[in-house]
Amino acid sequence: MSLKQTIDVLNRMEKAGVIGRYCISGAVAAFYHVEASATEDLDILVSFEDAGSKTGLLSLAPIVKYLNELGYAQFQKEGILIEGWPVQFLPVADPLDAEALATALEVSVSLEGGDVQTRLLRPEHIVAVALRTGRPKDRVRALQFLENDAVEIDALCPVLGRHRLLQALADLCGAVGLSNPCMLERNA
Amino acid sequence: MKSRGKTAYPDVSDILQRKAEARKKNAALSFGEKIAIVEALRARLAPLKRAREEHDAKKAR
Repeated sequence: MSLKQTIDVLNRMEKAGVIGRYCISGAVAAFYHVEASATEDLDILVSFEDAGSKTGLLSLAPIVKYLNELGYAQFQKEGILIEGWPVQFLPVADPLDAEALATALEVSVSLEGGDVQTRLLRPEHIVAVALRTGRPKDRVRALQFLENDAVEIDALCPVLGRHRLLQALADLCGAVGLSNPCMLERNA
Repeated sequence: MKSRGKTAYPDVSDILQRKAEARKKNAALSFGEKIAIVEALRARLAPLKRAREEHDAKKAR
């Protein structure tokens, strides 16, 4: 049981049209860019556009059915357990998600069991999504990227501007006494 | 040693610096190495997680 096998299943689902384009988001995507820490689940940002919903209503039923047929029927919290990882499928819910998924990094990663092809959120979108979600742990994640120079400011500020998140960044920086990098960029 | 009033406290700046260096080193690991760490951590934390869930279930009864 390893992440490689979990990603193999996701790639098969995409190929079979059970899900549309997907990318890894959340903590596991963040680990690609910053220090890893404990996490329990694997968040998957997924498009249902290509997966052929005729009613326009969003349903996870085809995913659950497909996975049940492969023997993955156990739920853990909100995730379906696939090869030891509880996987949470998060549909694209706004223009930020759509942009993040469309521009996700295509990577080949070496994991236990071999190499696997997948997609991961770009750092600027990880920070933007964290600012949008705004829970304490998301704010910590955004700070982790800023403090470790794990996000390019030239890439971050336009994303935050497009998705009306510059104020959220200003509030966060103000709360922790950090210089606002997007304000500095504007004043430069 | 730093002293505040009569109480003397040790200087921990070197410890904090070493921790910062370790964080940098950990951030520079490959994705595969990081995931291996996370998976090992998940396995190690599993008994604690089970105990917490049992405790929560007992409390809820």
